[in-house]
Amino acid sequence: MSDVTFGLLISAVIFAVGAMGVLLRRNPLVQFMSIELMLNAVNLALISFSASLGTEEGHVFVLMVLTVAAAEAVIGLGIIVGLFRKRNRIDVDDVHSMDG
Amino acid sequence: MEQVVLLLIGVLAVGSALGVVLMPNAVYSAMMLLLNLLSLATLFLLLHAQFMFAAQLIIYAGAILVLFLFVVTLLNPEGEYIFRDKRRMQRAATISFGLFLGAMLVGAFLAAFNKTQPVFVPTDGTNGSFGSVEAFGIDLFTRFLLPFELTSLVLLVALIGAVVLGKRK
Repeated sequence: MSDVTFGLLISAVIFAVGAMGVLLRRNPLVQFMSIELMLNAVNLALISFSASLGTEEGHVFVLMVLTVAAAEAVIGLGIIVGLFRKRNRIDVDDVHSMDG
Repeated sequence: MEQVVLLLIGVLAVGSALGVVLMPNAVYSAMMLLLNLLSLATLFLLLHAQFMFAAQLIIYAGAILVLFLFVVTLLNPEGEYIFRDKRRMQRAATISFGLFLGAMLVGAFLAAFNKTQPVFVPTDGTNGSFGSVEAFGIDLFTRFLLPFELTSLVLLVALIGAVVLGKRK
């Protein structure tokens, strides 16, 4: 098995585990970490494709994903902290309404 | 030798990913996420993505994970044991969905990539500079200049959003 195939298999497994984490956990922080897992799995797949083709496009895509992940972490954690200030506990099931 | 390292890193990556989901304490989950990020960074290096290896360590392990740990310790959420959860049906449905998704992706990748041997470019081959910081930088600042400039806009929007969200009413 080549490096590329191995990287793709690992990325597939990690993506599935991350998806399960988002659905299984009720703590939004851990759900967020699972989303980061999924983003990282996609990064690994892009880098594997890039290595398979021998071009740099995949790496540029990964840089974009990294930027979006950083922005998403800042906004998401801000929302979670805001939620905690309002209700004093964090559980995704508590969030019924979107009143600001 | 490289195969052994690859296998070890793969086991570490999948195991730590499971750890993120299964650990009851959010701080342990964050630590498992760190282990996962480090093993993925090593895989990036083995796939000749040198700049991405450094970027992964600095941005993910250095910045995003520290932010996560700050928020986890600030909010101090109580432990959560998913295998003692009452919602059995939901859990069974989730796990079967996850297994299905994983099997589909693994099957698709194996079908697409095992028949034709991937064209792998070694660093000492004809395309010698592939994956180096120099080649990546040249591509980023010539062919992909506009998307690169647009990332600054994304970061600016995130910055403004964080300030608005953090403001006390």
